[in-house]
Amino acid sequence: MASRVPKRLEGVVVIQVKYQRFLAGAFASLASFAVLAGGAAAQTAITKGGTLIYLEQQPHTNLYPPAGGFYPNGGVLNQITDKLTYQNPKTLEIEPWIAESWTVNADATEYTFKIRPGVTFSDGTPLDAAAVAKNFDTYGLGNKELKQPVSEVITNYKGSEVIDPLTVKFFFTKPSVGFLQGTSVIGSGLVSLKTLALPFDALGDATKIIGSGPFVVKSEVLGRELVMEARKDYKWGPAKLAHQGRANLDGIKYVVTPEDSVRIGALLAGQANVIRQVQAYDEKQVQSKGFIIYAASTRGVNNTVVFRPDNPLVSDIRVRKALLHATNTREIVATLFSANYPQAKSIIASTAQGYVDQSAKLTYDPALATKLLDEAGWTIGPKGLRQKDGKELVLSAYESPPQPQNKETLQLVAQQWAKVGVKLNVLAGDAGSRVADSLDPVKTPIAPAMVGRADPDVIRSQYYPTTRNALLQKGGVSNKVQSFVDEKLNGLLEEIAAATDPVKRLALVGEVQAYVIDQGYVIPIFEEPQAFAASPKVKDFTFEAVGRPSFYTTWIAPK
Amino acid sequence: MVRYLLGRVGQALAVLALTFTAAFLLLQVLPGDAIMIKFMSLDMGLTADQIAEIRASYGADRPLWERYFTTVGNFLTGNFGISIQAGVPVSQQLATNLPPTLLLASLAFATALLLTIVLAAVSSMVGMEWLRNGLQSLPSLFISVPVFWLGIMLIQIFSFQLGLVTVISPGPVERLVLPVLTLAIPISAPLAQILMRNIDQVLAQPFIAVARAKGASRNWVLWRHVARNAIMPTLTIAGVLFGELLAGAVVTEAVFGLSGLGGLTYQAVGNHDTAVLQAIVVVSALAFVTINLVVDLLYPVLDPRLGTSMGAVT
Repeated sequence: MASRVPKRLEGVVVIQVKYQRFLAGAFASLASFAVLAGGAAAQTAITKGGTLIYLEQQPHTNLYPPAGGFYPNGGVLNQITDKLTYQNPKTLEIEPWIAESWTVNADATEYTFKIRPGVTFSDGTPLDAAAVAKNFDTYGLGNKELKQPVSEVITNYKGSEVIDPLTVKFFFTKPSVGFLQGTSVIGSGLVSLKTLALPFDALGDATKIIGSGPFVVKSEVLGRELVMEARKDYKWGPAKLAHQGRANLDGIKYVVTPEDSVRIGALLAGQANVIRQVQAYDEKQVQSKGFIIYAASTRGVNNTVVFRPDNPLVSDIRVRKALLHATNTREIVATLFSANYPQAKSIIASTAQGYVDQSAKLTYDPALATKLLDEAGWTIGPKGLRQKDGKELVLSAYESPPQPQNKETLQLVAQQWAKVGVKLNVLAGDAGSRVADSLDPVKTPIAPAMVGRADPDVIRSQYYPTTRNALLQKGGVSNKVQSFVDEKLNGLLEEIAAATDPVKRLALVGEVQAYVIDQGYVIPIFEEPQAFAASPKVKDFTFEAVGRPSFYTTWIAPK
Repeated sequence: MVRYLLGRVGQALAVLALTFTAAFLLLQVLPGDAIMIKFMSLDMGLTADQIAEIRASYGADRPLWERYFTTVGNFLTGNFGISIQAGVPVSQQLATNLPPTLLLASLAFATALLLTIVLAAVSSMVGMEWLRNGLQSLPSLFISVPVFWLGIMLIQIFSFQLGLVTVISPGPVERLVLPVLTLAIPISAPLAQILMRNIDQVLAQPFIAVARAKGASRNWVLWRHVARNAIMPTLTIAGVLFGELLAGAVVTEAVFGLSGLGGLTYQAVGNHDTAVLQAIVVVSALAFVTINLVVDLLYPVLDPRLGTSMGAVT
């Protein structure tokens, strides 16, 4: 391990330094501090201007801000829209941005925001209380006429009231503690009234997304290329950032380059400055040429495999726990990934709020797995597969293409499970079958799942039946679920949404982590980063709280 | 001739209508649809009621026949619908992607023809047996090279290693050099094989011996007699191969990151974006039908015998 430290530092300097400074790691932090100090001296003179070339793997889809969770969408929206509040990616504190200050009533059903004066959208219209109200009315309630759906991060929204031109108040039907952080996410990016007046189906055209952000979309070749220009009059960046005023860069050119080897080759050949989506097996090639890997944490629910207990094959807790102990996550991380993909120690990332280490319950223990399966009545049949009442223990899962090497991960899990006599079929399938079957616990007793959001609310969003419903409980969007409901889990999740006391809220998050693992509902694999590579000339390339790139402070050194 | 032309155009329209209907029905048979993929995915976190509302707003809850006639009506009035995944009108996507694909395909096709003719001409004119054999085995090599690999190799060598062309945001001409080569090489292979074999066959015919006996030079015979006779089957294949250009374009555009119908098709298939696929099928069918019509009309020009026999039939 000691020999790996320098290599890791060379590659992940920026990220490492940020984490380790506040986590106060032992020896490594001293070393990285030295790197930071050395780097800071060289970084005194910031070079202004220039266009950064950014290679994206996939074209963006609809840019309605609440759809900003899709990685390519977030990469675009984060440059062109501002948010009401700013979540400090280091401390995860909520800081002022477009809102100068705010107050929340005792039971978190009323929020009042004071808007910073003088902010305008790039179409010249003012970003005032009325505009903010209209944005959240749309995201909180949806707009049926224009087909604009409700945002995932805003729950129990009742309405808004414009108190004066720079003061807006929001009302909720139930306590909604997650709302303050919800105003800081990409999905709550503020857009001009002109953009909100367009039907949902027109918002796939980036030039129509009018924000107040540091960059403005100048032109777009659909599905291929996006040119952004810095706004010269931008002077309302997050208040506590060291950098103020307009962006350092003159512009950004987003080019969609689907082929991995072409993105990496272009970066190394100097034809691009930053690329998104670098697989773990390509990291060495990039680092050996002196280029930098940025593995930004998504700080939410880890890359996991979830069970759908509605399926009789996995309804027995002993079967689920057997498979949890039959999964060797250390081997998965060591074989397929790199140091940038830390082995999971809970269902949420160790950088997430309320994280509690569950690793004692997540051991790789094939003997225990065998014992549990035997106890559950699944005996080894003639083909080496476990069976019970004439049924074989054969499970299926669809790969999830946006997750890094998800197919390979599931295939390795399948190999590990085969050792205890359980078969896992890894299905590719077309998008239609994947979505349809993922809603049917009989067809997909197992599914990969992850979601990034730097708020305890993320855990509720992932498992609650009427939101992402990862475990497929009855009462959600799927009509294929027969009976599975876990009232205790749902009760805890509802409490997280309503707990106004932050200490109590984090305690509940800890309770849910323990409960979900104790029930064997989820097998955590690794903490999923979003991996980028950049030329060493690119400086101050930063990320918002869940790993989407932010180019506001970025500059390109001449040499 | 006018009657023949009208007949062929009528046939072409019938083919188009059948393709449209078949495509519409097949796309309905696929499990799931674009609305389900976009909105029903658990990641959206929408409720069943919200999804039902969305389906109704797109008219996806209407009966099949009603949706069919609505779509026919829309296409006839030039409204290709909306891409649910991308959130833009399909007409805007076609306007962005059709011209570059047409340009790429035409240039690649022209280059492939040029490669074919040069290869065939040189291999028939060259005296040395070993060189001739070498040239004649080139198409077999070209045909077995995967487009994907060829594209990546060309980029690695000419762009990343030698730095001769830029791949990321290149100039208008620079943009096309490598993709055109990538697409042209595999297309030229079957053409060259057929042309070479035909040249050999025609050369073996008695009238060639007669022409040579009369004192015509080998090259004169090649250009005046052989080429004209050997080009007919090549032309037929060329018409068919034009369709393969679109298939090749999917890969080429992905590798080079170019706009085009290829990439659009790939995305739309992945997301079951029915409106986009419907439009692409119709545009491709139109291209196929047109090319084949042009090839059919070219036959009598190249071979007067076909013109007279056609007259005799009618």
